[in-house]
Amino acid sequence: MLEVSGLWKQFGGKPALEDVSFTVKKGEIYGLLGHNGAGKSTTLGIILGMVEPQQGSVMVGGFDVGRERAQALRKVGAIFESPAFYEYLSGWENLRILTSYSGGFNKDDAREVVERVGLTKRIDSKVRTYSHGMRQRLALAQALLPEPEVLLLDEPTDGLDPEGIHWFREFILGLRRDRGMTVLFNSHLLGEVEIMCDRVAILREGRRIYEGNVRELAGDVPVFNVVLDPWDKACEIIHAHGGEIMEPGKVSLPVGLDPAAIVDALVASHVRIRAFTPVRKSLEDFYMEIRRNGSADPPATD
Amino acid sequence: MIFLEQLRGELRKLFARPRTYMGYGAFLALELLVLTFYKLDKGKRAARQVLEQNGLDFGTFYSSLSISFMMILLSMFTLGSIFFALVGGDIVAKENEDGNLRLVFARPITRLRLLLVKYTAVTIYTLTFVLFVSVTGYLMAAAAVGFNGGLFVIEPKMKIFSAFPAWSEGATRLGMGAVGIGISMITLSSIAFMFSCMRIKPSSAAIITLTILFVDMILQNFPFLKPYEEYFVTYRMSAWLFMLEKHIDWAKIFESYVLLGGLNVTLFTIGWLAFQTRDFKT
Repeated sequence: MLEVSGLWKQFGGKPALEDVSFTVKKGEIYGLLGHNGAGKSTTLGIILGMVEPQQGSVMVGGFDVGRERAQALRKVGAIFESPAFYEYLSGWENLRILTSYSGGFNKDDAREVVERVGLTKRIDSKVRTYSHGMRQRLALAQALLPEPEVLLLDEPTDGLDPEGIHWFREFILGLRRDRGMTVLFNSHLLGEVEIMCDRVAILREGRRIYEGNVRELAGDVPVFNVVLDPWDKACEIIHAHGGEIMEPGKVSLPVGLDPAAIVDALVASHVRIRAFTPVRKSLEDFYMEIRRNGSADPPATD
Repeated sequence: MIFLEQLRGELRKLFARPRTYMGYGAFLALELLVLTFYKLDKGKRAARQVLEQNGLDFGTFYSSLSISFMMILLSMFTLGSIFFALVGGDIVAKENEDGNLRLVFARPITRLRLLLVKYTAVTIYTLTFVLFVSVTGYLMAAAAVGFNGGLFVIEPKMKIFSAFPAWSEGATRLGMGAVGIGISMITLSSIAFMFSCMRIKPSSAAIITLTILFVDMILQNFPFLKPYEEYFVTYRMSAWLFMLEKHIDWAKIFESYVLLGGLNVTLFTIGWLAFQTRDFKT
C-alpha cells in the first residue's frame, strides 16, 4: 500500500535521509521510531510530496508521489503534531476548506465523521477556543475526509492527556479493525508504538538501523530473572549450558536453547528453583540498546 | 465547480480575518478625515480658490464626486498600498509560518492550483476593497455636501485637469476610474504575492513590495528620468487617471493595462516557480 524506496535527502549539505526504505502492507500499522532529527518528519514530508528527495521514490496505492502526486494522495489522510488550523474560523469551516482541496465537501459525510470523533457539540465554535485534545479530534476528522485508505500520523498523541492518548489509540485501532486502514505512525513514544504497531523501523541520523516485527522483537529474547539455591552450583550448570550470568539473579540463555533443559539440569543437581521467570524485553530496552550499538540484526520477520 | 469551492474557502479565510475589518475601519476613518478637511472653513476656502482660479463654479464642483475623487486618490496612495502589500504578502507566507500549509499539502491539490486559487482570491479581495472605498467615500461625501454637482479632477503629476459639470458624466468617469485603480492595485498585490511564495517572512514580503514601489515612484519623478517615465510600474499603475481626462485616450490606457497584465502574469510565474521548487518540512 505504501512503498518507500531508497530515499536520500540533504538539507544544506547535511544528510537528513540516507537510503531509507520500507514497505507498509494494506491494513498494517507501521511505526517509524527515532529521536528528534532522525528523519521521521522528512520521510513523511517526502511521502506527502512536500519535500523533494535527491534520490528514491514513494508509491502510495500504486501511484508514484513524485510523478502522480494528486492520484497518490487521493486516499491519504494525515495528522501532524500540533495541527495548525485557521484559528479564526469554526471547526466546520476548517473541515470544509481543507476537504475542498481534495475535490469536494459532502455535508453528510462531514457530519458523520464529526460525530465519530465526538466534536458535534463544538464543531461550530471557533478553533481558537479548542483545547489541544479537541484540535487533535478535528485533525482526525479532517484526515478522515474524504474516506482515506492510508493514514499518516506524525507524533499525533504528543501533548495529549492520558485519557486523550487512550481515546486516540483506540480510535486508530478501531479504524484498522473495522475498515482495514493502513497506518504509518511516526513517534518517539515507544510505549505507544509497542501497543499500536505491527512492525517498526528505527531511524537514526537519517539511516534506518532496524526494521522488524514488534511482537517478535519483544518475545524473542531469552533473558530470565532467577532465584536459585545454592547460587554457585546453579551458576556452574548455567555456564555448562552456554548461559551467562548478567547480574546476580538475571541470566541469559543461548538462542535456541529450551529453558526447560536448564530447569531439568538444575533440578537433577538438587538446585532449588524459587523463581525462573522470562524477562520480556520492552521496545524501550531494545531501542536504547540499538541506539547504543548503532545497529541491530533484525529478528526473523514474515 | 471544485475551483469555485476552493475559491470560496480562500475568500472566506481572507474575509474572516479581523485584519480585514480593521482595514475597512481604517479606510473609513481616513475618508472621514479627508471629508472633514473639505468641510472645515480652511478646506472650503482652499477648494474655492483652486476652482475659481481655474474659472470653475464653486457651487457646481464643490461636490460629492470631487471630494470622493480626492478620498479615493489619497486613501489608495497611503493606506491602500500598505494594506494590499500586507494582504498579498501574507497570503502564502503567513500560512507557511503558521503551519496551515502542512494540512493543505496533505491534500491532492497541486501547488500551481493552490496558488491560482490564492491569487484569484487576492485579486477579488483587492478589487472589492477598492470598490468599497469608492462607494463609501461617495456616500459619505454625498451625506455631507449633497448628491448633486459635477466632478473636478486635478492631478498635476499625470497632467490631468478635467471638469465634468453634469453629475451623470462625472459619476460615470469616477466609477470607471475606481474600477481602473482596482485593476492597478492588483499589480501591487501581485508583487507582494510573488514575494510571499518565496522563503520569506510575511512582513518582509510586504516591506520589500512597498520599498520597490516607493523607489520606483521616486525615480520616476527624477527630472532626468522623466523621459523614461513610461518604463516605471507606478506610472503604468496611474493609468486609471487617464479615464478622467476630458477625451479618453483608450489606446494609452489599454497599453498600460496590457503591460500591467503581462507583469502580473510574470510575477505569478516567478512566484509559482519559487514555490514549486521549495521543500516544506512538516
